[in-house]
Amino acid sequence: MPGKLAQHDIELIIEDIGRGGGGKPPQRNGGDDGDSDGARRRDSSRPPQQNRYYTAVIVAIVAILVFFLALASAYIVRRGSSANWTPVHIPPILWVNTLVLLLSSATLEFARRKLAKADFTAFGKLWMLTTILGLLFLAGQFVGWRQLQAQGVFLASNAASSFFYVFTGAHAVHLFGGVIALLYVAARKSDGTRLSRSAAAEVTSYYWHFMDALWVFLLALIYIGR
Amino acid sequence: MRFSSDHKAIGLHYLWLALLSVFVGMALSLLLRFGFAGAEARLPWLAEWAAAPQRNGTLAVLHGSLMVFFVLTAAPQAGFGSYFLPLQIGAREMAFPALSRLTLWATVISFAIITSSFFIPAAERGLNLWITGVALFCLASLVSAINFTVTVIDLRGAGMSLPRLPLTVWAWFINALLGMLIFSILLGSVTLLLSDRLAGTHFFSYSVRAFMLAPAAQVPGAFSPVIHQVLWQRLFWFFAQAQVYVAMLPCFGIVTHLLATFARRPVWKERAVVLALCGVGLFGFCIWGEHMFASGLDPYSPLVFAVLAWSLGLPAAVLLMSWFATLWRARLQFTTAALFSLGFVALFLTGGASGVLLARSDIARAAANSDFVTGHFHLVMGIAATFALLAALFFWFPKMFGRRLHESLGKVHFWLTFAGVCCVFLPMHWLGLVETSPGSNFHAGDAGVPAVIPAFILVAMVVTIAVQLIFLGNLLWSLLRGETVAECNPWRATTLEWSVPSPPPPDDFGATLPAVYRGAYEFGAPVLPVPAAATVRWVDKDFRPQHLAPDETAAS
Repeated sequence: MPGKLAQHDIELIIEDIGRGGGGKPPQRNGGDDGDSDGARRRDSSRPPQQNRYYTAVIVAIVAILVFFLALASAYIVRRGSSANWTPVHIPPILWVNTLVLLLSSATLEFARRKLAKADFTAFGKLWMLTTILGLLFLAGQFVGWRQLQAQGVFLASNAASSFFYVFTGAHAVHLFGGVIALLYVAARKSDGTRLSRSAAAEVTSYYWHFMDALWVFLLALIYIGR
Repeated sequence: MRFSSDHKAIGLHYLWLALLSVFVGMALSLLLRFGFAGAEARLPWLAEWAAAPQRNGTLAVLHGSLMVFFVLTAAPQAGFGSYFLPLQIGAREMAFPALSRLTLWATVISFAIITSSFFIPAAERGLNLWITGVALFCLASLVSAINFTVTVIDLRGAGMSLPRLPLTVWAWFINALLGMLIFSILLGSVTLLLSDRLAGTHFFSYSVRAFMLAPAAQVPGAFSPVIHQVLWQRLFWFFAQAQVYVAMLPCFGIVTHLLATFARRPVWKERAVVLALCGVGLFGFCIWGEHMFASGLDPYSPLVFAVLAWSLGLPAAVLLMSWFATLWRARLQFTTAALFSLGFVALFLTGGASGVLLARSDIARAAANSDFVTGHFHLVMGIAATFALLAALFFWFPKMFGRRLHESLGKVHFWLTFAGVCCVFLPMHWLGLVETSPGSNFHAGDAGVPAVIPAFILVAMVVTIAVQLIFLGNLLWSLLRGETVAECNPWRATTLEWSVPSPPPPDDFGATLPAVYRGAYEFGAPVLPVPAAATVRWVDKDFRPQHLAPDETAAS
């Protein structure tokens, strides 16, 4: 098969167009993708075969954002078009939950800094703390639902309550995915061949922070839409 | 079936699913036109089911569901895309092979759910089941779109810069981005819709409920078959509108790629074609998405067809211009794949002409639901996209199976099908215009319209569907006995999939991945200057593959 030998020519051509395929300039071993580890090194600390995880989480975040924007637009239009809108009184525990979730984002950031300094025990502790805070948030949301139900506000009571349950429920489902990712990273014994622990932690943290911001957005939407 | 994560096996499974769907869908369309007259006597269970009052509406929706979801949406993107996208960009796999497998099986399950929902006697429960199936399909397509996007961004091989991507890859990539947005919104709306139907919530405002939830909301206890039939069709369009773009985009890519290969010419204004593909995606999403957002997921608008027709105008003109300029004075090789590509162009042009009519909102309003729209929609979306799929199949069949599809049979199949669909769908346009023209009291059953037209359509339809058996025979015969292809590159094409043996080995490229040195459409005269000393293995050929190193063009 042609194309294996002419490294200089490839490099010349690639210099001409200013970049290599997929942003990955080929080096001594010629063409290669994520399959054989360590064949290529980039200038950045991120090995090229892990790029796909960073891209995937960003793309997934966009998709989830569009999903929630669709719900939000339905909410806004429905709110504007209905004559008798009975707002939901947000259970007070939701404010506590919000603080817990914000705190979990902070501990997650601290954990990542410890990991960067190779302080693995501190990383493990902070990571578990984040996971516990996440679970605490989920439990708090459940308590909030029970409080609403005690007031007689159910899923099908009115449009506002329906939206409240769907917003919190959909967010909880997505956040639960984040908790599983946290547990997965914590359970990893060593650096995987394709996905190192620091990369897994970073990817998970993107998702977690997004879930955090999304919750603040949804809460603000419900609060303003009262 | 094996539970394989290999992208080639997954692509093939999608294509087999599409083949099954297309033949079931055609049988359903026959059933729709003929009714159950003969079959009832022989199949008692069918008679019982057919006696249900919403029969015709649900049959039409089942026909549409199978064709739109599992053929037009799944086959060009998930079928051919899963198989050839990694090969064309120089990767051995999709970014997440396990996810590919997951989405395949989710799609198969949603096929089972959607099909079975029509055999449930209780229509309300059948409808809920259908929506669930569609939700699963949307979820699978969404995950698949994310997988495609990441693959194109991160897995391109050495030297495969964006300007060197084949247009097929561009089309799959843009389509994945578009699908990601569209399927997210559909998933959001289907969540609300299901909870309205199952949990008694009130997401959809009253005016929308009248359309979407009519039987439950308006006639509690009573069962109204007419309303019910309308309900099914509304819900179907709610989901199918968005699929128009998702189905057409990969077809544009495939046809452009094939026309350049068989015309032995570079794609005329390749960059403009890429921009036009982006334009189709962007317009498609903006218009459909704006409509969904602005109306709070209101599914129904009388102007839908007008909007579709307008928004495609500009990018479609660019694409058509490029196709014609590529073909201009080219010595086109009239293979079956090239014929089907030309058929696509012809039908697309015809559809564009009748779409201009639909873009006038008054005509659109009058003609909505008429035979005019049925004819227009089938010709542009259904048949044209199917032609692109067939072209892709004839083109890539040697690579997939190491055998050729029979060319002469393929040509007979093409000409008969082309004539057939024209005989079926062009009179439908006329019938629709006659029916809906102001001041006329004509209806299809009336004496005013010559009864010969519907009869002609029916006969043409039977013949056209019978002709498809030629294709089925060709396919099965060629799989087992077809002429074997010894060389890697029988069409003398440039992209990377033709540098590997046919069928490709499990790891695609063997020990070393290929490097890419040039663009995807270097046909005809040399594009790079050939060194003076070159005596030349490649200069006497009229194409240069992407993996061909510059010194090999010069080496003896």
